[in-house]
Amino acid sequence: MTIRNPLRDHGQRYRPRIACLKKAEKVLLEMQDLKTGVKSQPQRLVITTIPHAITGEDIIAWLADRFQVDTQEARSFGSMLVALGYIYPLQDHKRLVIKPDASLYRFQTPYFWPTQQWPVEDTDYAIYLAKRNIRKKGILEVHEQEHYNRLHKWMNHKWDFIVMQAKEQYRAAKERKKPDRVVFDCQERAYWVVHRPPPGTVSAMDYGLDRLIDPNADEAKTPDFYARIMIFTQQSIMRPRVKSSVSLGALVKYCATYNNHDPFLSKCLPSNPWLTDDVTYWTLNMPYVEIPTKMRVERWTFSFAELLSDPRGRNDFRLFLKKEFSGENLAFWEGCEDLKWGEAATMREKAEHIYKTFLARGAPRWINIDGKTMEITVKGLKHPHRYVLDAAQTHIYMLMKKDSYGRYQKSPVFKETVKKAICPEEHHFTDAQLEQNAKKRRPSLSPIILRQMEQEQRAKMAANVDITQLCRFTTPVPHLAVYSGITDFPSANASPSLPFLAHSPACPSPISVALDSTSASERRVEAGEGEGEGNPAAQAPAGGNVSKSRMALSLQRLLKRGCTPATLFASLSPKCHSAAGTSSRIQPISPDQPSQAPPRRIGNFFQIKVDIPPECRIYPIESEDEDEENRAASRGGVGAKEIICPWESLTPQNGTG
Amino acid sequence: MGKDECKTMLDALNKVTACYRHLVIALGSTSDSQNLREELKRTRKKAQELAVANRTKLTSLLKDKSISKEDRAEYERLWVLFSSSMELLEVDMKRSLEIGQDFPLKVPTRHLIQTGMTGSTTTVAARAMSVQNMKYEADSNIDTADLRDLQCEISQVSQMMEEMEMKVQVAPWAVEAKQEAGAELKSNMSVGNSSVGVISICEEEPKEEEGGGSRDSGFASICAVVIFLVIVTVAVVLGYLVINMS
Repeated sequence: MTIRNPLRDHGQRYRPRIACLKKAEKVLLEMQDLKTGVKSQPQRLVITTIPHAITGEDIIAWLADRFQVDTQEARSFGSMLVALGYIYPLQDHKRLVIKPDASLYRFQTPYFWPTQQWPVEDTDYAIYLAKRNIRKKGILEVHEQEHYNRLHKWMNHKWDFIVMQAKEQYRAAKERKKPDRVVFDCQERAYWVVHRPPPGTVSAMDYGLDRLIDPNADEAKTPDFYARIMIFTQQSIMRPRVKSSVSLGALVKYCATYNNHDPFLSKCLPSNPWLTDDVTYWTLNMPYVEIPTKMRVERWTFSFAELLSDPRGRNDFRLFLKKEFSGENLAFWEGCEDLKWGEAATMREKAEHIYKTFLARGAPRWINIDGKTMEITVKGLKHPHRYVLDAAQTHIYMLMKKDSYGRYQKSPVFKETVKKAICPEEHHFTDAQLEQNAKKRRPSLSPIILRQMEQEQRAKMAANVDITQLCRFTTPVPHLAVYSGITDFPSANASPSLPFLAHSPACPSPISVALDSTSASERRVEAGEGEGEGNPAAQAPAGGNVSKSRMALSLQRLLKRGCTPATLFASLSPKCHSAAGTSSRIQPISPDQPSQAPPRRIGNFFQIKVDIPPECRIYPIESEDEDEENRAASRGGVGAKEIICPWESLTPQNGTG
Repeated sequence: MGKDECKTMLDALNKVTACYRHLVIALGSTSDSQNLREELKRTRKKAQELAVANRTKLTSLLKDKSISKEDRAEYERLWVLFSSSMELLEVDMKRSLEIGQDFPLKVPTRHLIQTGMTGSTTTVAARAMSVQNMKYEADSNIDTADLRDLQCEISQVSQMMEEMEMKVQVAPWAVEAKQEAGAELKSNMSVGNSSVGVISICEEEPKEEEGGGSRDSGFASICAVVIFLVIVTVAVVLGYLVINMS
């Protein structure tokens, strides 16, 4: 029968279970057998002899024999028993390890065994410190003194009790005979070394956070409980099912691929730092190391995710993309990652920056995503949140994976890296060298420094960004078509403005929603129209075409309003997601567009032919159109701003329209 | 006065709690035995009697509304002492139940842990019971029979503590201790008991142990020698006088 007191139990018993304790206790009991257990010998002190001392080598030999393991493993097991507190060393009591020589140990009494059921109380520790104070006549060790002062401050209300109890316990201990007194002191000291470790050491009984509920308790059957079960089952039904042969095959493939790379299952070259205390392995595998190891480079070939997740691999890939002039994909992907995992305060600015740099028309590092995704993204950017760029990011990721990744693996960049990769020799340390290594242990770089290094790297990367990929636009049609908005386009890529009418989600109503209710798309439509009108109306940039274009705009809008039901009908057709189909229907509605397209295209073409204009030059030329667009949408005072972010058109100062 | 009575009773309870803890620490080790189990039982019973007495006294004192503020503060302090003692006692009782169940004495395959403690705990128990010598009269199956009693007693104690928390409105954190840090170093050894020898721990402090040990036994032996000499001198003097007289 377990005595349970639920009233005064504050739930602290539900901790992450240290299951090894029960098993260690069984082993301990086996060690006690007089015939088959560990041999014990008396410990000779100056005037007394205390029995039941065991040597380290005896313990290790017994463990190796009992469990049929080699000495190294028996030694680790023994060290674990010592670290937990079942056996304590008599010499060098602060270092809780087993030494495979004649150093002496003793078994701990069951009251002082580590257990989760009886939490280690500060009251007990205070009493122990007070007793120690008495014995040492006021001279405690530094950390003990600190603990003492702290406990005196925080347990002040119990301090009388602690003093009284300490004195009484001290006197009671004196009633015993000398050898027993010595043993008792050793036991208590060992217990507190385990549970209140001196600074610089770690307690083996650290288990992390306490749980607040009992995982074994029965849950009350409330409606909420059943609601949760229902949701869970519904989601399970909706989940896509995979045949077990397929999933098992994937598992087998994973194991086969990663078998040699697992430091537990196979050798770790040059040597496992946790075992030999030699950090060569870590220095060779630093995140931004110059020359990676062969194993690391091999991992990059396993999957695209592996390549991207390794910083060195990502650098290599970035270099390759730079040569191929498609670096903006990776930059966009990284920007999206930054947005997802970054701080909430800077999210808005980051989203804006990414839009301006990658997504907007005329962006310096424009990426190639399809119109549907672009529409979803831009719509989402009105109310930016962490995952607003998720669709675009996935698209770009799949693009890189299917396209660039394969080419990367066949590229000279990668082949060069593979050739240069090193394969370190395995270490063979003698025991003496291992001891040396243990002594030379130093803490690694602080995470703060690592983060600073990473930020510097990132800043360097950002500074080195070159807009050379604009050169791509000199190559003919596909990208130009994209950029200039030709409506009969072969691929799904399209300029931002038009397909907002064409590319809509499968159900027609969102189009009407997009067209009518969302003022931004209205503005876009207006902008598109205005731009179409503005261009012939105002050949010269800026200037006093404002009123004229406004007039033209209102006229145009009247016409367009009449036309929008037509677009609605057009889009109501069942296969509205077919790009070419709808677009061809829309084309007659805006007959001006194609006529506008060539001059625009030529304009852009000329623009682009001016080879790699610096960023500042792009914007003024671009802003010509943008300005007209802006004014057409009656947004005063945007002068300096180059690229419109659609959500910004919602700002109240652009009331007129 | 009520306060002094309380204090003496609390001192007694404190002493018994400390001794009980020492006894429980010896459970399961090689110094475990029938006797130890009986000692545990007797100490426990005494502790419970004291606890009940203390509780009635303190609750009656605290219920009294007509006492002054300082008196009330003092009683609250005593109450905190009492409840802390009871907490320790309760935990020790529960642990002794657990360890007692894990280490039955009569089962030959179940070994006791060889902790190095081989002496008996008679003196500790004697201190707890405030007797000179302990008499052992228990049956041979005390280790199993006692456990059932122990369970009952534990539930009684838990119940008592619950009642205490519910009925007595004392805020433990509001109590200020009278002793300051390091108070245990002063007024040491007020209960006259052996020497102020420093107990050493292990091989690391052999010298002090030696000093302490020799001081301990030396004092007793010197006393004995002195007394012997005195008696011998007196006898010699008397003999001389007798011879002179006759």
